Amino acid sequence: MARMKFLCDADRCIECQACVTACKNEHEVPWGINRRRVVTINDGLPGERSVSMACMHCDDAPCAAVCPVKCFYTTDDGVVLHNKDTCIGCGYCSYACPFGAPQYPQTANFGTRGKMDKCTYCSGGPEPDMSHAEYVKYGANRLAEGKLPLCAEMCSTKALLAGDGDIIADIYRERVVTRGYGSGAWGWRTAYGDTVTV
Amino acid sequence: MLVKRRHRDAATTGRLSQIVAGMAAKPLDRRSFLRASGLTVGGLAAISTLGAGMTRRVEAAGFTDMSQPIEVKTNMCTHCSVGCTVKAEVQNGVWVGQEPAYASPINRGTHCAKGASVRELVHGDRRIKYPMKKVGGEWQRISWDQALDEISEKMTEIRGRSGADSVYLLGSAKFSNEGAYLFRKFAAFWGTNNVDHQARICHSTTVAGVANTWGYGAQTNSYNDIRNAKTVIFMGSNAAEAHPVSLQHILEGKETQKANVIVLDPRFTRTAAHATEYVRFRPGTDIAIIHGMLYHIFENGWEDKDYIAQRVWGMDQVREVVKDYTPDVVENISGIDGATLKRVAEKFAKERPSTFIWCMGGTQHTVGTANVRAYNILLLATGNVGYEGTGANIFRGHCNVQGATDFGLDVGNLPCYYGLGAGAWRHWSRVWDVDYDYFVNRFDAVPAKGGRDARTPEQNMNIPGITSTRWFDAVTLDAEEVDQKDNIKAMIVFGHGGNTVPRMQDAQRGMDALDLLVVADPHPTTFAALHSRTDNTYLLPICTQFECDGSRTASNRSVQWGEKVVEPIFESDTDYSVIYGLSERLGFADEMFKNYELVQGKFGMEPTAESILREINRGAWSIGYTGITPERLKSHMANQDKFDLVTLRALPDAPEEIKGDYYGLPWPCWGTGELKHPGSHILYNTNLHPMEGGGAFRPRFGLERDGETLLAEGSWPVGSEIEDGYPQFTYGLLRQLGWDSDLTAQELAVIQQVAGSDEEEAMDAVSWSLDLSGGIQRVALQHGCVPYGNGKARAVAWNLPDPIPVHREPIYTARPDLVASYPTNPDRRQQRMPNIGAVVQQDVVDRGVSNEFPIILTSGRLVEYEGGGEETRSNPWLAELKQDMFVEINPEDAAARGIVDGGWVWVTGAEGASRARVKALVTERVNKGLAFMPFHFAGWFQGEDQRGKYPEGTDPIVLGESVNVITTYGYDPVTGMHEGKVTLCQIAAA
Amino acid sequence: MTMFSKLLTAFGLVLALSFSAPMASAQINPTERSVTEDSLFEALGTAPVAGRTTIPDAQAGTLINDANKGWAALQGQTLHTLSIVAVVGMVAILALFYLMRGKIRIDSGFAGRTIQRFNSIERFAHWTLASTFIILALTGLNLIIGKSVILPLFGEAAFGTLSTWGKIAHNYLAWPFMVSLVLIVLLWIIHNVPNKVDLEWIKQGGGLLKKGVHPPARKFNAGQKLIFWSVVLGGAALSYTGIMLLFPGEAGTAADWQFYQTIHALVAAALSAIVIAHIYIGSVGMEGAFDAMGSGEVDENWAKEHHSLWVEEVKSTQERNTKQVATPAE
Repeated sequence: MARMKFLCDADRCIECQACVTACKNEHEVPWGINRRRVVTINDGLPGERSVSMACMHCDDAPCAAVCPVKCFYTTDDGVVLHNKDTCIGCGYCSYACPFGAPQYPQTANFGTRGKMDKCTYCSGGPEPDMSHAEYVKYGANRLAEGKLPLCAEMCSTKALLAGDGDIIADIYRERVVTRGYGSGAWGWRTAYGDTVTV
Repeated sequence: MLVKRRHRDAATTGRLSQIVAGMAAKPLDRRSFLRASGLTVGGLAAISTLGAGMTRRVEAAGFTDMSQPIEVKTNMCTHCSVGCTVKAEVQNGVWVGQEPAYASPINRGTHCAKGASVRELVHGDRRIKYPMKKVGGEWQRISWDQALDEISEKMTEIRGRSGADSVYLLGSAKFSNEGAYLFRKFAAFWGTNNVDHQARICHSTTVAGVANTWGYGAQTNSYNDIRNAKTVIFMGSNAAEAHPVSLQHILEGKETQKANVIVLDPRFTRTAAHATEYVRFRPGTDIAIIHGMLYHIFENGWEDKDYIAQRVWGMDQVREVVKDYTPDVVENISGIDGATLKRVAEKFAKERPSTFIWCMGGTQHTVGTANVRAYNILLLATGNVGYEGTGANIFRGHCNVQGATDFGLDVGNLPCYYGLGAGAWRHWSRVWDVDYDYFVNRFDAVPAKGGRDARTPEQNMNIPGITSTRWFDAVTLDAEEVDQKDNIKAMIVFGHGGNTVPRMQDAQRGMDALDLLVVADPHPTTFAALHSRTDNTYLLPICTQFECDGSRTASNRSVQWGEKVVEPIFESDTDYSVIYGLSERLGFADEMFKNYELVQGKFGMEPTAESILREINRGAWSIGYTGITPERLKSHMANQDKFDLVTLRALPDAPEEIKGDYYGLPWPCWGTGELKHPGSHILYNTNLHPMEGGGAFRPRFGLERDGETLLAEGSWPVGSEIEDGYPQFTYGLLRQLGWDSDLTAQELAVIQQVAGSDEEEAMDAVSWSLDLSGGIQRVALQHGCVPYGNGKARAVAWNLPDPIPVHREPIYTARPDLVASYPTNPDRRQQRMPNIGAVVQQDVVDRGVSNEFPIILTSGRLVEYEGGGEETRSNPWLAELKQDMFVEINPEDAAARGIVDGGWVWVTGAEGASRARVKALVTERVNKGLAFMPFHFAGWFQGEDQRGKYPEGTDPIVLGESVNVITTYGYDPVTGMHEGKVTLCQIAAA
Repeated sequence: MTMFSKLLTAFGLVLALSFSAPMASAQINPTERSVTEDSLFEALGTAPVAGRTTIPDAQAGTLINDANKGWAALQGQTLHTLSIVAVVGMVAILALFYLMRGKIRIDSGFAGRTIQRFNSIERFAHWTLASTFIILALTGLNLIIGKSVILPLFGEAAFGTLSTWGKIAHNYLAWPFMVSLVLIVLLWIIHNVPNKVDLEWIKQGGGLLKKGVHPPARKFNAGQKLIFWSVVLGGAALSYTGIMLLFPGEAGTAADWQFYQTIHALVAAALSAIVIAHIYIGSVGMEGAFDAMGSGEVDENWAKEHHSLWVEEVKSTQERNTKQVATPAE
């Protein structure tokens, strides 16, 4: 069974934000919700690197650990999904997540966040695969169609890789060997306790 | 395969999900989609404020119902010039999904932020929904018929009063090739050369500079080919933001070739972040820098001597000029030290193949053409043009700016660079099957004024029109100063922003003074909102290229066919249809459209794109659009996966109809479609047979100069039967060579027809570019020869103001001390207007403007927005990512002014007390003394929020101050390009 | 904001390190200088990796915050266990106590006469506080331990609905809770100032452990004062942290919010345990005690046994009043 992961090759990422709008496009994600975002470190300085970040679908996901209503579950592909019917919008997962993945449709004050929304690795939610109900709540289910997340598929420089963790780690490793540099598999240590070593 | 398996089934459904499930049964059809997206009242109201309405999935327009059939349509991204294929999934007439187009060799499935969000364009919440006009200051809905009737009446009235030249036809780089061509033809039938488009303000200087050097005004190689380069220089190009998908090829090339990627830029751009060397310099000093590099190259003998001897004329004169650009001089001018320049020059000259990439950082200057010429000379000196991995990789801006340029949306050209001479007019008259005199009768006679001679209509036909950078001056200047019958009285603006040209205060005055303003665009541009007009202002909803068929030419000259994805939404209509409607009412539709297949469109008849392209095929000999038939283009699109990623050539397993072709038949694609020329991936490439896409520099400036030949010496394309340079092919040359017997009788007959007689002298003069049969081209190619000849590139372009570029200080210079030695070009008249740059510069120096305005202001692109930005700022998926106009300012400058990151500031400009209220972005990206502002914003004007001026529901989500409120006077002496990259400003906390 | 500026300083540090080479004519090779995840982790320690992002959400600039996992473990495991221990532990202790001591009876039996112990305002305040606290405690506990206690019983959908309403109830009932808390303080603080009598009471274990032992007490004995102060201080802590949790914008950084949440949960667990004991003693634990807050009238004998000094005070006041009433005005 595949273990789906994301890997952002920051030496390729040019902060073009295609991943962000591809996500918006594929799932019609409303204004204010950013399932994926690009963060630029050392912005404007030689050494600047941008990293596209979304839910990393962690091993032992911290969000799941703190969720009061156990709305999270991990699929056999290693994708961490959640059930919006159960979610109470408490916000705990957003404080547990090291990557800022959980998003809420409304302002956080007075507990009026609404149901949490986050990257689904383009694989929907608990509703029947590719159903309209699933689409409305979670967006498209590309994995069920045999496709990978659109953010990675549309990445302008093929910086953002998605797929089985071992395979994308190999692709990244090969790149680092070819070019002789690499700034790391951002977030892997935090999400999976291990990084890609070359 | 990736089938999702879960640990558990869905939870027991709650009430909410039951309600939702109830909706699922009803698939979204086109009608209900449009209703949902706002043609009806109410829907728009929800979106007009970014409150709760935005946070809800209004209607699941992106849901793909797997039980319903999916239609897949292929089109191209309508933003930049890379030409990314867009794969659209359509159900019930609604574009429901955008899939990665992996087959495209250009983008291989990928997009940037803009491309990945194009589906929103046909949701079009903020689009113009129906034709409108201003009545007493209020926008009023009208019908298409009423709009076109009134507009054509007013045009006719203005024509009667002030002449045809008083109506300015501003076209668009967003047109399809067919639309651009049709618009140019429309201008010809209307009788004016006042027709222009965005190329004026992006790469007009490139086209002028490059064409004057080696023949054609286009990118010599391709994005893909950069994979072959060992050294890549970016100068004045921030491709990572402006052409993100190109970075895919460049970064992969950088990695696999271990290539040097050198970025020379005043600003540490996102492209620079991925460079192997970054060099900062003072804006506007490109020529000094290039000459500084050439100084080291010649000093050390790194130039390619064989290449220069064989293929370049005048390099010795350059050698003399660059001797003055010693490392000290260059460092004083540009700020770059000699060691750095030497290192960069050595890499570029020795670690070949090397390519040089420039964009508007190079072109948008008072020395734009000269900058381009300097880059070209560097390429020529190092032998880096005409081979794989080399070249002038000019990254053009809009999706079809190359095509729109090719088809003459240019004040100085008829389609395909034929110029405006009688020969050009006669050529197109033949193609259009209209009498030459018909056009003569359409043009104004120009009276003598301002000390200038009068012009007959026939003479006026040959005179370039007013550039788009000066239209407002042509409205407001004294009539004496404007070299045509009368001032500009009407602006007909198709798909062109009003905030991308400097001096917006003057533009505003110009808009207010017009008798008629027509804005035909999917979105209301600055042209619709900047002014305070109350009447005689029309808004026509034009659909995007996703809502019509047509071809577009990417920067690398590859032509791609775009399929209509959905019908034009709301009451929008195609360019074709609107141009037809206007022509009909102006009384020349029958003549103009007689060669086309007319079909019933949405609101009237319209020509098919295919039939327009077929007419282009019959006339576009000069740049080889003649082999680019609709059928060939369509089979390329259908077989995209059969093309090689690097060579762009169809792989051996490709179907017969595309075998051997380069992707998109990059022009020149010689001869007729039947000749099956594969297109030319790399221009001027002597390593290939001309029938395989090979070529040579184009001798278009005579055969000799100063007693030296201008034809190539000892260099010719593979397979050439003439093993030396040769001039362009004419029937006469064929006869001299004895190759005329290869012409078919039919071809000969057409040549006779073109010559107008069967006299030998007349027939001899018929050239490869005028021969409508394609016979001359065919025969030349058959003998391994390039139809246009085999000449030398010109290191010295004697017809330009600076035959060899020299450094000239920007008009608003931060170094007034250098003006005496490096003054701007002398004042002159150009394109019917005065250019008083030298007077202005002297005034700037005399008044000590740089003391009051000590910060250099430059401008550029953001990845999320494009051009004037109305379309992209109306797309919520993009608009969310950049919600505020800003100015980048160095931390030291910010600290000295008490400016904090994210705080509001006033940027004040050096002309007309201009000012803009924007947010500060404090960053080391810009040096001390430099500020940067993006140019995509509009809708705020000097502190005033103009949201209310847009018709209700069409205001872009994000508004902001335009940088071009602050930018100042300055025009390239060759093309009238504005100075968009160097001016002075002051910044203060607001 | 504070955290953000701290971050920026941290970055300045990293940059200062990487730019020790002179800028002037040295080659600037951005590829070589590129920041790596490893070097950042090393330089930043536990501080989050952050940068610039263009969306207005300030938090979005934080790329990786490893420390969140610490809070997740605390919240998901430690607090979960602690809460269960506190509640179940207290119930167990009380059960044990009940088994050993049984219900504390009124030694001298019911007198049949009653005295008013709490007037209607006091009872209103108490019951408002009590009822809101109970719901707050239950809904709050539900957030921590509901998933392991209630979810298996109710199933996911019902538990989800319950928790949603629970959260709404928690957010809104917090306000009457806080109001009544203030009222309680105003009404009773004067009676809850610790004094010498309390020492004796404590010395005798409040008479809880042995039958027939009744240390003297005023209106509130030391045990009740303990409850009072626990409720007041704990309630204040819960209120403050609760408000911070309700308005994360005001709470500061994510780390600050996490801190408030941890305090909130810990105090809530402790106070819940204390209140369980309070409920026990006020109901099944002690004969006659409930009436104090039920009707407000307590049996005189119960009062004498548990609040002897208070009874005397009440009596003397009553007498004085009676005298005053009996004595003619002139």
